[in-house]
Parts: sequence; C-alpha cells; structure tokens
Amino acid sequence: MISTDLNSTNENYNLEVIRSMLSEQGYITDASVSMSVFLSLQLNKPLLIEGPAGVGKTEIAKVMAKALHTDLIRLQCYEGLDSTHALYEWNYQRQLLHLKMVEHSMQSVYEKEKIIFGDEFLMKRPLLQAITHHQKPVLLIDEIDRSDEEFESFLLEVLSDWQITIPEIGTIKAIHIPQVILTSNRTRELSEALRRRCLYLYIDYPDFAKEWTIVKNKVPAIDAKLGEQICRFMQTLRQMKLEKLPGIAETLDWAMALSSLHLNHLDKTAVEQTLGVVLKDWRDTRQVQMSLSELLETAGVHSKIDNL
Amino acid sequence: MITRQTSMSANVVQFCRFLRTHHFATSVEEEAAALAALLFVDCSNRQTFRLALRTVICKSRKELQEFDKLFDEYWNELSKAIDSKVKTKAAPALRPGSKDASFNALKSWLNGNRSYEIEQTASFSSQESLSQKDFATVPSDEVDELMRSIKALSKRLAAHLTRRYEKSGKNNFPDLRKTLRKNMRHGGELIEIAFRKPKRNRLKVVVLCDVSKSMDLYATFLLQFMFAFQQVYRKIETFTFSTSLQHITPLLKQPDFSTTLVSMNNVSDSWSGGTRIGESLNKFVEEHGKRLLDKRTIVIILSDGWDTGKIDLLEKSMKYIQKSGKKVIWLNPLAGYTHYRPATAAMQTAMKYVDVFAPVHNLDSLRQLTKWL
Repeated sequence: MISTDLNSTNENYNLEVIRSMLSEQGYITDASVSMSVFLSLQLNKPLLIEGPAGVGKTEIAKVMAKALHTDLIRLQCYEGLDSTHALYEWNYQRQLLHLKMVEHSMQSVYEKEKIIFGDEFLMKRPLLQAITHHQKPVLLIDEIDRSDEEFESFLLEVLSDWQITIPEIGTIKAIHIPQVILTSNRTRELSEALRRRCLYLYIDYPDFAKEWTIVKNKVPAIDAKLGEQICRFMQTLRQMKLEKLPGIAETLDWAMALSSLHLNHLDKTAVEQTLGVVLKDWRDTRQVQMSLSELLETAGVHSKIDNL
Repeated sequence: MITRQTSMSANVVQFCRFLRTHHFATSVEEEAAALAALLFVDCSNRQTFRLALRTVICKSRKELQEFDKLFDEYWNELSKAIDSKVKTKAAPALRPGSKDASFNALKSWLNGNRSYEIEQTASFSSQESLSQKDFATVPSDEVDELMRSIKALSKRLAAHLTRRYEKSGKNNFPDLRKTLRKNMRHGGELIEIAFRKPKRNRLKVVVLCDVSKSMDLYATFLLQFMFAFQQVYRKIETFTFSTSLQHITPLLKQPDFSTTLVSMNNVSDSWSGGTRIGESLNKFVEEHGKRLLDKRTIVIILSDGWDTGKIDLLEKSMKYIQKSGKKVIWLNPLAGYTHYRPATAAMQTAMKYVDVFAPVHNLDSLRQLTKWL
C-alpha cells in the first residue's frame, strides 16, 4: 500500500502520490490544492487556507490526517480564545483534593509540589497536545480569523519555536512538529507576519465539472440527470447577488435531499419546496423565489416546452 | 539549504526580486523556501514549476491573482534577454554587441524603472503633512496614502478597545477568597471551588454617519474609516442617514473596500440628499434602539448638524439614546475650524444630550478618538 510506505519514509512524498492519496479519501482536488498540500508536507510549513464558507477548507485537514494515518487535533478559534484554552491548564480541583489527601503524610513540601505539578494534573489543550503527541499529528486551527489579534501573535510564537513554556515544569519541546493547517473565512485580514509563516492557498467555489464530480462521489445514489441539473443550478445561483452564497456543503445536502425524494429531474415545485436546504437567509430565499423561472432557464434546467 | 549557484536558482532569486518591485512581500525566507520547493518538483514542466513557485511565494489572494501575469512577463522577458541573438525592434537596448546595455536594461526593468530613494522620501513627507490636512482638501492622488493611514489607525483604536477590559490573560483561575468563603460551612474543607474569569470586553459601538450633501467631502473618508474599523473591531454596527436611515454593517463586511463601495452605491439612493437627522435618529431608536443600545454601547454620530427635519423628534431621540447608551460622541467635521460655533438649531438641541463633542476633519482628530472611547 502506498500509504503505509509513507509512514515509514517520511521524506518520500511525491506529487502524484499526494494526489492519489487525497482522491482515495474521497477529496476531489485540483492541481493547486495538491501542490499546496505536497509542499507544506515537504517544506514542513503550515498551510493557510482561505476561501468562502462551505468549500471544503476544513475537509482538507481531515482528509490529510486520514491519508497520513495520523490523528487530527483540532483547535476551534473564537473571539476571546486565550492561551489557557489553547495550551494547557492545571486541574485545580484535583490538585486541591490531592493535597487534602496527603495532608497528614510525612512528605516534604517539595515532594508534594512535585506531585501536584506532575503530568496527571496537567490538562493538555490542543496546542500542547499536538506538540507532545506520540506521532506527527495534523493540527487544524480552524477559523483563525475569529480569534483576536493577541491570540494570533501568540500563535506565531508557537508556530516558529515549537516549544511551550510552563512555569512550574519548564519548557516542553515538540517531539514531532505537527502538520499545521489554518483556515480562515476572511472575515478580517490576517497579519502579514502570520501569512509569511505559512503557505497560502485560496479555494474558491468549484466550477461545474468539479462540483459534479464531488456530487457523484458523495451521493452515488443520485440520478445522473438530476445531479447535473443541481450543479448547473448551483452555478447559476452563485452568480446572483445573495447575502450568503451556498457552498459545496449545501449542494451535497440538497443532492441528498432530492435523491431521497426519488426525483430524477429538477422542476420548479421541487426547487421551491426544498429551497431551505440551499439558502439560509430569508432575503435570499425571497429573491430567488421571485426569479426562479428565469434562474431555472439560465441553468438550462427547465425548457419552455415543459411549461406548456 | 542550497549553496551552489546554478543558473536556475539565480533566476528564481532574481524573479523574487522582480516580484518585490511589484509590491509582493517576498522576503529572503520565501526565496529560500522557493528554492527548497524546487528540489521536490519536476522543474522541466513549466506548469508544475509555476504552480510550485506560486504556492510558496504568494501570501494573499491579491498576490495569487497577480502572480500568473508577472510570472509570464518575467520568464518571457528573461528568455529574450538571455538569448542575445533574438533581435527585437521594440527593445533596441537588447541589440547584440552592447552586452552591458542589455544587462542594464534588464536590470532597470527588473527594478521597475524607478529610483527608490526619491520615492521613499516623498512618501514620508506626504504622510507628515497628511495628518494635519483637512479631509475636504485632500487631492485625489494622496487618497491612497490617507486610506492606508486610516487603516492603521483603526487597527490601533480597536486594539485599544480590547486591551482596556482585559484583566488577565488566563481564564478559569480559582478565586481563593470566594472559595474559602463558600466552604466555611464545610468546616474549612475545600470542596467547592469558585472560579474567576477575566472580564470580557463587552464594549459595543454604534456609528451613525450623516451622508447628506453637506457631508459629501467627508463621507468617503468617514466611510473608509468605518470600513477599516469594522474589519478590526467586530462589535460595531454602522448606519448611514440623510433623509432616511440605512443599516450598512453587512455591506462593510466585505473583503475589500472597493466591493463595499460598489454595493453601497447600489443600495443608497438617498446619498447626497437633504438631511433629516431627527427622523433618522427616531427611526434608529424605534427599529434598533432596544436591541443595540445598552449601558455598554458607545454611540458615535458623525454629522455637521445641518438639518431640515423636525427638532422635537431629534430631541426625543437624542434623549433616549443618551439615556440608554453608555456615551454619546458627536463628531463634527466643521468643528475643526476655529471660528465654528454649534449654532444650528439641531446642533444646539443635540448638544444637551452629547457627552463628547469633537472635531473630525483630519487624521489627527481621528487619532484623538482614542481619548474618548
């Protein structure tokens, strides 16, 4: 097997192997995605992935972890995320309980301290987990644009030194440097410094061919004509000025929904009834409903003859 | 890393320099990474070669979009320059026989045909003068410069906002005092533990910007300011008003300012119209007041106070806004003039309910905002 070979000889990735690895795991790529993944593995650099919501940014990390037969450690960013949630924390309750239990024993203060600041009282958060993992993990730092700038600069430090200092224990160096993937929805611009540490990849909405391949792969039960029409319709939909454009995730949901209704082609009533799967904003829904016939026509789904 | 200077690696380095002249942020680090990357890919295939360089060098979407064009430009030009037998009428400097000339031509072309020292001093001095310059008098070629300054400034403002309420970097710290108190009933045995958390920054900002005809000269810059501010500080809601009120927060949440401007133009029919501050503020209070205003909200009103609307409505709304908000800041571009007095009826009425009244006509005055927030 290709993948088992990869584990033993870490250095020997090759572009073709990466491509087939990704597609084996069911991820449809294009050249720039596989090149980015390949080079980030080879050069040991973090990969920063930007793009609109729902185009499969997070999926890359999951697929990579699977393909490399390693674990995925995920750090979900949010506003107010700070180092104790990202790095480590002492288990205070346990420390206090432990001290209570050994209150009357003859241990010296030094010994007691040594125990309560030991490994079992340390709660590892994702970043610490990642650098002390027994094998090289994939570390996914999801939606980094949601965290605040303080955290971003803190992250820079970790990403360049690969060591974490805990005052009570000392400095912990990374056993294996994790493979890092950062994702961002571009709700705010990331700092130049962070960009410079990473390789950059932008994933856009897929074109028709790519989307159709993805649908075929993920919803194998779907009727060929229906699937094609769904993808065409989505492509047209994304040309509109909507508040929130639907991503691949929505396409797949919709394809699954329609195929479980055992439809074999798209028609106006079906679209109207299931529009909620695709559009998640009432203004968008209203706008699309009003121009539905036109939309279907431009998508080539619904010829005028059907209407008669 | 690579030490041997092959012509390939020399070219890649030169290509990186070329990109730098086109405003790419390509440092030595990227050059090294690019060379390292080329070890792993098939360089004879131009597509692969290009893709590898693009992956390593580009650091933003803008750079990604420009890369292919520059790549072609460079490598095509290079092949012309290297092969001196190729005679092109368009570039007489490349004529065989004058090797130096062709080298110099290539060099100056690579450097983007410009002299750096001059440009740098020029930009420095312009920044100096810009911060004092009234927005209304900024010539169009200095707008870029100003926009950059505004961006940097709003970043600092936002950082200031967050830092103030950050009490400690650590979360979930046990609160010893509370813990002891709580456990008194257990005879001092520590069973329940109380925690304390740093106070999260809950400060919200609501911006109401006048975009009527009289504010025309300032609106673009104020918009840019609001845009930049929205990018770095999330708890902010922005409205524009002239004769009616418009909620523009979603429009400001675009990746770049030009997109924002385009979509703004599509929706705003009331731009550069008359002003009815009272009606607009009243609409704000009625539709959004309950939801947006609380004691942690700072309301910033950007307007010159020239008003043709109803005064009693203005008074009523201002009263409500001040009562339910934390602070009301009225920024008036006209207040920068020394002889300005808030003499209009609207301004005089509003003054009673304003906590801070300040000028906003140049960068310096925007910078002063830090003081009030």
